[in-house]
Amino acid sequence: MKRERGDILKDLSDGVFNMNEELVIRVSSEAVKAGLDALDAINNGLIPGMGRAGVLFDQEEYFVPELLLCSDAMYAGIEILRPHLDKKTVKEKHKVVIGVCEGDTHDIGKNLVKIMFDASGFEVYDLGRNVALGSFVEKAKEVNAHLICMSTLMTTTMDGMATVIEMLKEEGIRDSYKVMIGGGPISQAFADKIGADGYADNASKAVMVGRELLAGVAV
Amino acid sequence: MTTQTSIPADNQTSLGRVLSYLKGEKPQRIAAFPLILNHAARVLGVPVGQYNRNGKLMGQAHVAAWKKYGHDLILIFSTTSTLAEAMGTKMKFFDEDAPQIDEPLIKQHSDISKVKVPDFKKDGRLAVYLEATEICVAEVGSEVCVSTVFGGPFTTAAALYPVELLTRDLIKNPKWVHELLEICTQAGIKFIDEIFARKALPIIVEPIGSGSLVSPRHFHEFVAPYLKRLADHVHKTGGGMPAALHICGKTTPNFKVMLEADFDIWSLDAVDMAEAKKAAGHRVVLIGNVTPANMLKNTAEEVDAEAKAICGKMGDLGGFILGSGCEVPINTPPANVEALINAARKYGRCDG
Repeated sequence: MKRERGDILKDLSDGVFNMNEELVIRVSSEAVKAGLDALDAINNGLIPGMGRAGVLFDQEEYFVPELLLCSDAMYAGIEILRPHLDKKTVKEKHKVVIGVCEGDTHDIGKNLVKIMFDASGFEVYDLGRNVALGSFVEKAKEVNAHLICMSTLMTTTMDGMATVIEMLKEEGIRDSYKVMIGGGPISQAFADKIGADGYADNASKAVMVGRELLAGVAV
Repeated sequence: MTTQTSIPADNQTSLGRVLSYLKGEKPQRIAAFPLILNHAARVLGVPVGQYNRNGKLMGQAHVAAWKKYGHDLILIFSTTSTLAEAMGTKMKFFDEDAPQIDEPLIKQHSDISKVKVPDFKKDGRLAVYLEATEICVAEVGSEVCVSTVFGGPFTTAAALYPVELLTRDLIKNPKWVHELLEICTQAGIKFIDEIFARKALPIIVEPIGSGSLVSPRHFHEFVAPYLKRLADHVHKTGGGMPAALHICGKTTPNFKVMLEADFDIWSLDAVDMAEAKKAAGHRVVLIGNVTPANMLKNTAEEVDAEAKAICGKMGDLGGFILGSGCEVPINTPPANVEALINAARKYGRCDG
């Protein structure tokens, strides 16, 4: 018996929120069979579930293990639904280039921010860790990014963020991008000092700050 | 502006000052523990990449740093992954930075069979640490407390097995994680024995147990019980030495469960020290918490002001040691290290 759209979406959202990857896989397949629009299932099922997880993360009810397992469930659902996306209904998104500064291989914080941007309707280009500073600029130009996000856990590599901003200025393209930074030693004061547009101290807030920075910026 | 003349002179040695805390007596002034780790290489003028692979240089660097600054605790350290490195995790070395994990030992769960308590004479850089410890104790141990720092069981586990997989397994494969933590705990206990044999103080760092990564529930299940075994071992075999724990980052959500681990000293980073004091009670000595990035970026006057504000939160200053929240960044200007120590001399008076 076919279930209602609302029931399917609720299962997708709850499955992500409750770290129940098995449920998400089963119900994503059900959604496909039931002829539910794949974009509807992602945007109104999986992503709200991840949003709920993000709220609990911000409230220190969920921590890294929970957020990672929620994201595993979300990505498992997206994997099943993606081939069924109707290209015509897929809207353009804000594009984010993200990475960990050169000299630093700690990337769990960056990965969490990537997950939350993925789950919030952004198109994310992940450069990984230990990223050559020029690559942030190159990638942003290549994909016409709206936002550049840089992270580092180390005091020895934080000055690389200022270098990237200087590179943008030298090329006369500083105003083409918003720049956001974060990571252990980073503070709002440091962001102000180097002329970054935004700073966030956790993955959930990163998305809020990103949204604020891009409010009114055309995709 | 402060001038040199306005700083009261010390009448206790560093060691005497630290012993005052252990005896429950008031020191002349509070102790100052800027966490000088890899920065010691800068004082000796050798590349960090040489310092951390040569026990003589590491020991000499810390002796030189202590002679320059006169801080109240020497800390022998290179990375939080040193135990894991000795157990088989590969590190990537840099000329002018601390090593970072290159390839964790465990790729799949069955690799746990490769995890063994290391040989402290030949595995990894354990011999480097222990030689550096011996040099510091021999040269300046009568004047200042020498400590050797290593990663706790949870942090060691996260260096043997990628942290993103380990954190998932807290929920998906808890039994396997406990097995891994058991071996890491045994390695830690052995390290404590080696450190005590050299008349130094073991300090355990558990950054992966930070509240940024794990919940109080997981700390209670996976972090506190194993830390407690290390603390118990210190209490049992240390001849009155305190059990000392450092956790970087945000620890506020975990204060309550940290008490379960039964440490005597907490070194804290990005927390409100007044809140920490309230949570820790009178039994725990607190070390903290000038912002590490500010040590690197701010002026000496700003470091002084931040240290003064922290001292102002600590009531009668009992059981408080002024420190940096985490490692003093390698390239910190010496004037900022001096500013932190002078702040303890100025704002940490206990003598009237």
